[in-house]
Amino acid sequence: MKTRALMSLTALLGLAGCATTPTAPPPDENAPPPAVPAQAAPPQTAALPERPESVPAKPLGQPEPLQTVVLARPDTPIVSFRLVFHTGSVDDPKGKEGLTALTAQLMAEGGTQKLSASQLLEALYPMAAELDVFVDKEFTTFSGRVHKDFLARFQDLFTDVLLAPRLDSAELERLRANAISDVENGLRSANDEALGKAALEALIYEGHPYAHFTGGTVQGLKAITLDDVKGHAQRVFTQDRLVVGLAGAVDDALTQSLTSRLSALPSTGAPRVKLPAVPTTAGRTVIIQKPTLSTAVSMGFVNPIRRGDPDFFPVALAMANLGEHRQFIGVLFNELREKRGLNYGDYAYAEHFIEAPGSTYNRTNIARTQQDLTLWLRPVVPANGVFATRGAVFFLSQMVTEGISQERLDLMRGYLQGYTRLWEQTDQRRLGYAIDGLFYGTPNFLEQYRQAMTEMTPQSVQDALRRHVQPDALNFAFVTEDAEGLAKTLRSGEPTPITYASPKSAELLEQDKAISSAKLPLRPEGLQILPAQQFMEK
Amino acid sequence: MRRLLPLLLLLWGSALPAAAASIPASDAFPYALTTDTLPNGLTVVRVPYPSSGIIAYVTVVRVGSRNEVEPGKTGFAHFFEHMMFKGTKTHPEGERERILGSFGFDDNAFTTDDITLYYSYGPTAGLPQLIEIEADRFQNLEYSEPAFQTEALAVLGEYHKNAAAPFLKMEEELNAAAFTRHTYQHTTLGFYKDIQAMPQAYEYSRTFFERWYTPDNTLLFIIGDFDDAKTMELVRKHYGPWDRKAAQVSVPAEPPQKGPRTAHIDWPQPTQPRQVIAWRTPSAGTSPADAAIQTLLVDYLAGSTSPAYKTLVLDKQLVESIGSDYSEHRDPHLFSLTATLKDERHRDTVRKTLLQEVSRLAAGRVDAARLKAIQDHARYGALMALETPRDVGIQLGWYAGVTGAPDGFQRHLQSLPKVTPAQLSDFAKRYLTANKFILLSLTPKTAAPGGTK
Repeated sequence: MKTRALMSLTALLGLAGCATTPTAPPPDENAPPPAVPAQAAPPQTAALPERPESVPAKPLGQPEPLQTVVLARPDTPIVSFRLVFHTGSVDDPKGKEGLTALTAQLMAEGGTQKLSASQLLEALYPMAAELDVFVDKEFTTFSGRVHKDFLARFQDLFTDVLLAPRLDSAELERLRANAISDVENGLRSANDEALGKAALEALIYEGHPYAHFTGGTVQGLKAITLDDVKGHAQRVFTQDRLVVGLAGAVDDALTQSLTSRLSALPSTGAPRVKLPAVPTTAGRTVIIQKPTLSTAVSMGFVNPIRRGDPDFFPVALAMANLGEHRQFIGVLFNELREKRGLNYGDYAYAEHFIEAPGSTYNRTNIARTQQDLTLWLRPVVPANGVFATRGAVFFLSQMVTEGISQERLDLMRGYLQGYTRLWEQTDQRRLGYAIDGLFYGTPNFLEQYRQAMTEMTPQSVQDALRRHVQPDALNFAFVTEDAEGLAKTLRSGEPTPITYASPKSAELLEQDKAISSAKLPLRPEGLQILPAQQFMEK
Repeated sequence: MRRLLPLLLLLWGSALPAAAASIPASDAFPYALTTDTLPNGLTVVRVPYPSSGIIAYVTVVRVGSRNEVEPGKTGFAHFFEHMMFKGTKTHPEGERERILGSFGFDDNAFTTDDITLYYSYGPTAGLPQLIEIEADRFQNLEYSEPAFQTEALAVLGEYHKNAAAPFLKMEEELNAAAFTRHTYQHTTLGFYKDIQAMPQAYEYSRTFFERWYTPDNTLLFIIGDFDDAKTMELVRKHYGPWDRKAAQVSVPAEPPQKGPRTAHIDWPQPTQPRQVIAWRTPSAGTSPADAAIQTLLVDYLAGSTSPAYKTLVLDKQLVESIGSDYSEHRDPHLFSLTATLKDERHRDTVRKTLLQEVSRLAAGRVDAARLKAIQDHARYGALMALETPRDVGIQLGWYAGVTGAPDGFQRHLQSLPKVTPAQLSDFAKRYLTANKFILLSLTPKTAAPGGTK
């Protein structure tokens, strides 16, 4: 058993550290080893359109340097700043994974040339001002909020953080230690659902700059020097990558003063990373092994469509029908949790999902050139791990092959007409959507979504699903303790019947028979086991 | 609002409220509250908020894990929160999701030690249906035993989801060390063995509903863009017939603590060593002044501008973070200081540094300028935090549930600037004493000597 785990580990180590340098070689050379395209899967997909062998990197839009988005409103005393740089972990050099995140964090927290880290905290504190940074694969967002009573002082601090960060070694060491701990103690240990999602991302983007954890790898973080950080800040936080967002109690004078100050940023820096095409591999599986009471499951594939594609909206609606985060209306939530009591919740998205803190909504400004479509199951008891996975695939397949009924479409349409309005209730989120629209070429994105829904029919939704969503294209990530036992069950393909402690309807039990023996679209030879302690090591 | 009042009173006629009150907006809380109490005891608070076409609807029931007095039935308030989504005769299971779902409501709930809070956040257009469906479930909840048994497994799933990180286990151990009789000795999720046994407690669940889900134990908050008169008419119509009275169940009082206590956890996975220092302190429910003092003490002792933060986090870098798990409680609960250490070897230094700050305060050495900054931070922080009707509703509901006063949140905000340096010091001297603390430590079992790598 040990030997097999180690061999699998060797095969998988490539997962963890495959960032490209900013000057990446041409896409083809950078691509991972030959993958198995989805159309090689079993014959029941024969009627479906052929799936592309890879998803190319069609570049996102490129707004003008220092392009400004202003959403002023008179009924608030709060001013929101949102500075979105088109840089993220894709810009981490090979062997220095985590450089962009660490640099951004050091700028936001490490003080300015005038103020030490401690003095910066003291200055912000009485205002209760917010100054945060979030780094994703392709975008880094510095956001700030302040009451207008303190606007002038806050603007000085906020712009100093960008223009004159202190970047000293003591703060670098503090934040580096935290970042390493985030991987060793956080990612690998503290949240199996999040770990499963990160493992799936590493699997489907193997060999691509998206593959490594945005916060960095342990060895990558250890290799970063203060000079790396100083150089990187100059190379990626540049005018030509920046969109400036302002909202709330804003006037022209503030807009002018802010953009004028930010024009002191370097006008340009590192060349844009050329992302490689992502092979649409299918049927691959990774099992992350760690001590845990339960099994967390993620599945998905690189999505050939993103915002701006006419099919994006119907596919997004169909995935919302399977399950928006923490919403009771989804098919997976009802089938797996409400009827069967398998776990706490089950969700699906047509684009990458990162929960915005304090909400159930996706973050804004995490746009990606190549998107992923994912489903995930919150932890289930290990004995039901494979059954729950089969269940999710079953209901996804059912939706693709049978479509969505008119009644269900009407329900989801009504739901999303209202629910999407909640996504734009704060100034930061309104700015976020407006700025994302510049990169995706989708102005008024949520209004477009609501408009597109009025014209959808069961047929149009199903057509879009059949074009782009093929269950046989799924890849799988599990987090569990008995990895070998799970691997054995998955490889065998044997039925995984389920028993319940309470009575169930005959109809449900009949459906369970189909679920428990359904063939999972995974390839036994594409199954790997990785101890959690090795995940994102380098 | 004021000009409309005579007309509204006339329209209401015989349904005159037992009590009605308007609280104007203030610097501390920039929204006006209008409160009525229906004859059955239900408190209804409305808050106009400029959220065009959007409302938040928050119902807070004054029941939490504090009310779980019977052995073997811990976790029931939280479990019951799940069952509240299981339907009635009029609206069987699933119909709520279809009706509220068709409007796009974000519909959810949470439970704490003291309260169960339900919220629906979405279009004003759905408010009439929402009032009807909410009033129905609070009066007429009905669910089958199999549905109950299945939902118990979802609660187990929730426990599993939360069990991967050390926080749940730490809360369990700290509560067990701090409370020997009071129901705060178990967490809101309940003891694991009780959760596993939940499917067998169908009959008890009915008792729980009858006992606590009563109008006189419930407060309703409606925040956002809506017509007050029409809304109240619907509220009276649908909630009016609700006529149960809350049960009187006594929660055991906790005897005085004699001497310091300790608890320790060996954590079987990689994680940072943790240190918690906690003291039993007066309740927010009965003492707004003590609640204000404790809120300010969190930042005074462990905030980002505190000397301990500067020493431990920034200068010596012995910890990743320090903070507090303090939150307002109905009965006397805990004030705590927490530290996430970088290395087991520094545990004593970290603990001593935190306790030195407490001693300094108790000795009367109070930094008045820093207290003033903390009070300013609290005031502006509250304004910044109220970004949506949902934010407002949850804050109002939380404080109202803990204190029993519909305007508990405003009272709290008003109390904060009144706290004096001497009060901070007196509180520390009286309650944060060395012979009555509870020390909880957590060490990763996988740690190599002297480190966590």
